[in-house]
Order: sequence, then C-alpha cells, then structure tokens
Amino acid sequence: MSTPHTPRIEELLPAYALGALDGDDLRELEAHWLSGCEECRRQLALWQGELETLAAEVEPVQPSDVTRVRVLRLAGSDRAPAAPPRRTTPWWMAVAALLLLALALWGLLDQARMERQVRGLEAERERLSRQVNDLDRQVGLAREEARRAQQALQVLAAPGVQSVVLAGLGPSPGAKGRTYVNPSTRDALFYAFDLPPLPADKTYELWLIAAGKPVPAGTFDVDPRGTGTVRVERVTDASQIQAWAVTIEPRGGVPQPTGTMVLKG
Amino acid sequence: MRRVANRDGGAFAGLFERHAPVTLGLLQRILGARGEAEEVLQEVFLQIWMQADRYDGARSTPRGWILMLARSRALDRLRRRESARRREEIVGEEAGEKVSPLGTERLESLEVKRQVSTALGSLSPDQRRCIELAFFEGLTHTQIAERLEAPLGTVKSRILLGMSKLRLALSAQA
Repeated sequence: MSTPHTPRIEELLPAYALGALDGDDLRELEAHWLSGCEECRRQLALWQGELETLAAEVEPVQPSDVTRVRVLRLAGSDRAPAAPPRRTTPWWMAVAALLLLALALWGLLDQARMERQVRGLEAERERLSRQVNDLDRQVGLAREEARRAQQALQVLAAPGVQSVVLAGLGPSPGAKGRTYVNPSTRDALFYAFDLPPLPADKTYELWLIAAGKPVPAGTFDVDPRGTGTVRVERVTDASQIQAWAVTIEPRGGVPQPTGTMVLKG
Repeated sequence: MRRVANRDGGAFAGLFERHAPVTLGLLQRILGARGEAEEVLQEVFLQIWMQADRYDGARSTPRGWILMLARSRALDRLRRRESARRREEIVGEEAGEKVSPLGTERLESLEVKRQVSTALGSLSPDQRRCIELAFFEGLTHTQIAERLEAPLGTVKSRILLGMSKLRLALSAQA
C-alpha cells in the first residue's frame, strides 16, 4: 500500500538526489519510494537534471592520448582523434621516434666500433701468431742446440777422449780446427775456427785419413764468425786414424777429395 | 547514443570527443588525482560502450547520463579510499591540463558554465559548501555535519535551501 506523498517526502528528495540522505531520513524515503510513488520518480528526475548541470560546471580536462587510444580501441575506432587539433603528433610517439632514432644511431656507431675492435683483434691475433711461430722456431733451435750440446758433452766429457788439432793451410793460414773422438762410442766432433765463408756452390768437407786413404766424414758451412762443426758417428777405430783434413769441394760433397786443402792435423 | 547502442564505433568516438573533457574534469574534481581520474574515465566509457542501450533519452541528456555514471563510479572509488590516504595522493599530483572544447561545443559549455556560476552565486557560501561536499565528495548529511562541525539539522537545511535556490536560478535562466 502506497504511503502518502507529503511535503516532508518532497523535502527529502533533493538530498536523496545528491546522495546525501542517510539514517532515518533515508529509511523513511525508501519506504515511501518502494511503495511505487510516481511523483517521487518524476521529482527525482528533475533534481537529477539540476545535478547534471552542476556537474557540467567543472573545468574540462583534455584526456591523455593514452586514455583516448585505449577507449577508442574498445570500439575498434582508434582512428586519429578528431579533436583537438592542437597536437598533431602525440608526445609519446615523438619520444618513441627519437628513441628509435637514437637506438638506430647507437646501433650503427656500435657496429662501427665493434668492426674496429674485430679488425684490431684480428691484427693482434696475427701478431701473436707470428710471435708464437717465432717462439716455436726459437724453441726448436734451442732444443736442437741443446741436443747438439748434449751430444758434444757426451763426446767431450768421455773418459779417454782423443783430441787432434788441425792447422790452417794455403788460403787460410790463420784457420784452426780440432777433433774429439770418444773411443768407446766412436763418435767424433769437429770444430773449425776462422775459416772464410765460401761461394754458394762450394762447401767444406771433412776427411779422416785411415790406412793411407781419405774417408769422407761430412760437409759443413761456417757462420759469419768463421766457425763450423761436424758430428761424425761411428768413425773407424780411433787408433787407425792417421790424420784429419778439410778441403773445399763442390756443394754436396764428393767421395774423394778434389779441391784445395785448408786444414790438416 | 542510439548509434552507439548499435555498436557504431564512429559514433562512440564522436561521443568520447564531445563529452570526455568535461567528464574527466568532473572525475578529477572528485578524485583529485589525475591518473586515477583517467582510469575511471576509461571505465566509464567502457560501461557506455557496453550498456548504451540502457540510456533513456526521456530522463536525461547524453552528457547528463555520462556525468552521472562518472560521478557514481568516482564516488564509489572515493569511498573505498581512506581520507588521509587520499590527501597524500593529492599532494604532488599534477594539476590537470585544462583546455577548453572547441567550436560551438565550447560556446555551449561556456554558456552552461556561466549559468551554473550565476546559479551557484545565488547560494550562500555555507549552502554551496554543503552541496559541493555532497556532490563532489559523496558525503552524507551526517558526514558533512562532522566535517564542518555543524549541527546536523543545519546541514540538512543548507542543502535543502541550496538545492531549491539552484533550481530557481537555473529555471529563471532557462
């Protein structure tokens, strides 16, 4: 049953429209309202109109472009905003474009920097590779030198080693030579000093003389200081060696001496 | 609004461009924080897109309907926040970038603003304060009385008289 629409009820409607009604006032109006008062509904709509006008009194605030895009995307109508035309390019797009440009430039610069680094590293690798090769060669030479020294030591430090001095002859009167023979192993070492370098088609050849016959014992060249060496393995019994000699022969050596003798002892 | 209810994206975009600035102005006035106001604006327009068929042209204008939806959502959100926390959030918030709508829309808006300003000018400062606290902050009679440390009956009278004066002033201008 509908309660009567009294002036008291009408007084409550503006505050109800505002949402300010509470307590007993609210309960009183709702009890009446729920009974289906058409006048209340009409009055409330009028008050609502007043409030809508009040709401429009605020200062407009332009929504951000992010909000605009999100909202328009809801309806699949995220076309370029029709208003306001004051900003043709959204600030975030300009910032994004600048960032992309900066990234691209940075990328190019970085690429150039990396290419320079790669070239530098390649050159460094090349240099280190050459250095390693040099060191390998030096190590090889040092090992060879050590091996020779070891062999020489085995000859020179052997008990009963026999030594012969060779003197310069003919074109090399100041030259000297010395042989060492290990009687137990029959290995021999020969050192030459102060011999002049030879033309490319010539070589020095060492001979040992046994039973009146020359036996080839090896060829050698001299270094810039005039020093040369030959290691002879398994020579004839040392007691049978009558003499040692060095001649100048064609490169590669010959079975019988043909050239000038430069050392003998 | 009927076209929006029929899922016309172009009409929806037009509705947004026409009413979003005032709606955001209202939301920012209620919520204070710009970021939160923009968030609620998105919610409001989502609701409009989904429920445009509920709009009743006999009861309100499209702008009035949108503004009441926005106010309702903003007050809901406001009630969920603690008063002290809200004050902290407002401090340091940027003031909204205020721009005026363009063209005839702007002229209409300016006219409405002038009318409302005149109408509000007819209220006493106390009456205006009570109505603004109810409208923009969603406070009830009792809460306004507590906020203003005024008797409850006085607050009720101020609101009733203020609303009546507002109606008179607006109807006189119409």
